[in-house]
Amino acid sequence: MQDLPSGKSVVTDTTTSILDRAAEAAVRATPGTLARRIRGLSDRMVAWIFIAPTIVLLLAINIFPLIWAIQLSFTNYRANRPNEPIKNIGLSNYSRILTDTDTWIAMQATAHFVFWTILLQTLIGFTLAYLIDRKFRGHAFWTTIILVPMMLSPAVVGNFWRFLYEPQIGLFTYIISFFTGIPPTDILMLSSVKLAPWAIIIVDTWMWTPYVMLICLAGLRSIPDYIYEAAEVDRASNWRQFWSITLPMALPFIMLAVLFRGIENFKMFDMVNLLTGGGPGSTTEVASITLKREAFEKWRTGFSSAFAIILFVAVFGLANIYVKVLNRVKSR
Amino acid sequence: MADVSLRNVSKAFGDTEAIKDLTLSISDGEFVVLLGPTGAGKTTLLRLVAGLERPDSGSIVIDGRDVTKLEPAWRDVAFVFQQYSLYPHLTVAENLAFPLRSPARKLTEDEIRMRVAEVAKLVRIDHKLGNKSTRLSGGEMQRVAIGRALVRKPAIYLMDEPLSSLDAKLRGDLRLELKRIQAELGATMLYVTHDQIEAMTMADRIGILAEGRLVQMGTPREIYTEPANLHVAARLGQPAINLLPADLIADAAAPTGTKTIGARTEHLTIRRAENGHAHGTVDWVEHLGDQNHLHLTVGNRKLVTLTDPDSLFKKGDRVTIQLRAPLYFDGAGNRIAG
Repeated sequence: MQDLPSGKSVVTDTTTSILDRAAEAAVRATPGTLARRIRGLSDRMVAWIFIAPTIVLLLAINIFPLIWAIQLSFTNYRANRPNEPIKNIGLSNYSRILTDTDTWIAMQATAHFVFWTILLQTLIGFTLAYLIDRKFRGHAFWTTIILVPMMLSPAVVGNFWRFLYEPQIGLFTYIISFFTGIPPTDILMLSSVKLAPWAIIIVDTWMWTPYVMLICLAGLRSIPDYIYEAAEVDRASNWRQFWSITLPMALPFIMLAVLFRGIENFKMFDMVNLLTGGGPGSTTEVASITLKREAFEKWRTGFSSAFAIILFVAVFGLANIYVKVLNRVKSR
Repeated sequence: MADVSLRNVSKAFGDTEAIKDLTLSISDGEFVVLLGPTGAGKTTLLRLVAGLERPDSGSIVIDGRDVTKLEPAWRDVAFVFQQYSLYPHLTVAENLAFPLRSPARKLTEDEIRMRVAEVAKLVRIDHKLGNKSTRLSGGEMQRVAIGRALVRKPAIYLMDEPLSSLDAKLRGDLRLELKRIQAELGATMLYVTHDQIEAMTMADRIGILAEGRLVQMGTPREIYTEPANLHVAARLGQPAINLLPADLIADAAAPTGTKTIGARTEHLTIRRAENGHAHGTVDWVEHLGDQNHLHLTVGNRKLVTLTDPDSLFKKGDRVTIQLRAPLYFDGAGNRIAG
């Protein structure tokens, strides 16, 4: 665990040397005439030629649109009126977003969603991993069963759960009403202002808890048995073994799972769009739904570009702070 | 401290019988080393005593108490693992204090601090008490692991090749330290190794283990000079004992029934052949600095022995060999007492 973070520079070094060596080998293996034609090129040059297509592709579909979006975020450009003159309006898109109450409501909805999904998924995921790690009879079978939701497509999951949440025919509402006695027609999971945010949290937790469990399981499996045996001989109770060995040693993995789920859920779109489309009202309108509405319903391209940049910077900044903390935990 | 005994203990893992009907007793304050090759069942035996494995049959008694069915925590043992089994996120001091903080022991923080300081001095790690255990060298880590065992006063210390992952110099130092500590504390210790030097230098008694059985038990001297059979003889001595067919070199003293003669360096007198009569030739001479390894060919056999660094043997020399009270083994490989 300790040697994970330092790997970066080493990897780059070996990549170049591997590329150099590969280029050298290529030159040696090339038949006479071709070899003469490319003899003027250095090994490094040949290596660059090999990786050029990938780099061009990356620039074209990742870096260029990003730069373009940054540029558009300073304008009043609307993609549905291409003939209108584009006016540079400076930072006013940004200042409007940051002072707009609607965007802040969207950010709050996102924060609510991210917080509760991470909390539930981490708690349930770690508990499941801890139980699976007991290596009881048939644990491999149960691991596979638990992983099924994660393997489904979000679109499929969204549609399934819409049926499950149906007040008249939904299985979920039926079960809830069976245990609580509330008539199923009163359980409006997707159209009640109170319940809709939780409906989404439940589906996301159902789908992605296995993922958190898998990462936690990797963490638990990385703890060698002899540490537990030493603790057992040292008369540490199960409770103490958990708090002084299991949790601290699995913590970097748990934090990694939280990071992945956090980034993923911050930009959650597909499932929310399928389940509630942001409604009722704007109770489940997370940031990416707002973004989609601004960009492709209201066609405020410049405005939505600015919003996208703000979201990007926020996620990027938070993730970086988090990774710093994570590295500190790992190097303890 | 207490005495420990195993009575007719057997343990199998699936089809492999790791320990077969083994009986062993260790007296109070005794340092017993179990010596055997990989797979002989040394570690399994240690884990059985610790309670990390349960025997299929037989019983284990510590301090007059049958502990066969007890959990490790209630056996009052301390275990040093082959790997550095430190708690990685704790400091050296916290690692050393870990066994003392068990609710089963009612020690005050002051008492704990005193015990930790005492043990840290004993294993010479007191200058690094505040370090994280992951920020130590291999030797330091193993010292902390040993210290964590010593911090308690258990009935018996169990050590599973604690020095095998260290470099030669450190191994030598820690070997002396361990023996010193054991003598100082008067500790009962069961120590497992495949290193004959560790066994010879530290043990009060050595047990030779092979394929799950205790082949011979005795003082290092006994094991060395009176090995029960070929297997035991082959385990000790550097260079390894030369095992020769009885008729290879004439020896009038050989008792009847001798099939194999075991000759260590001290059983061989090598002289340069003088009047044409020779037993063999020198293949080559290995110079180790303080001594030389002399490789000989006798008939179709190879021999290795030690000579002084200033001896003048060289490759191709023809030599005569004389046996001086070697070991005699019968057809079944058992030693014939002479």
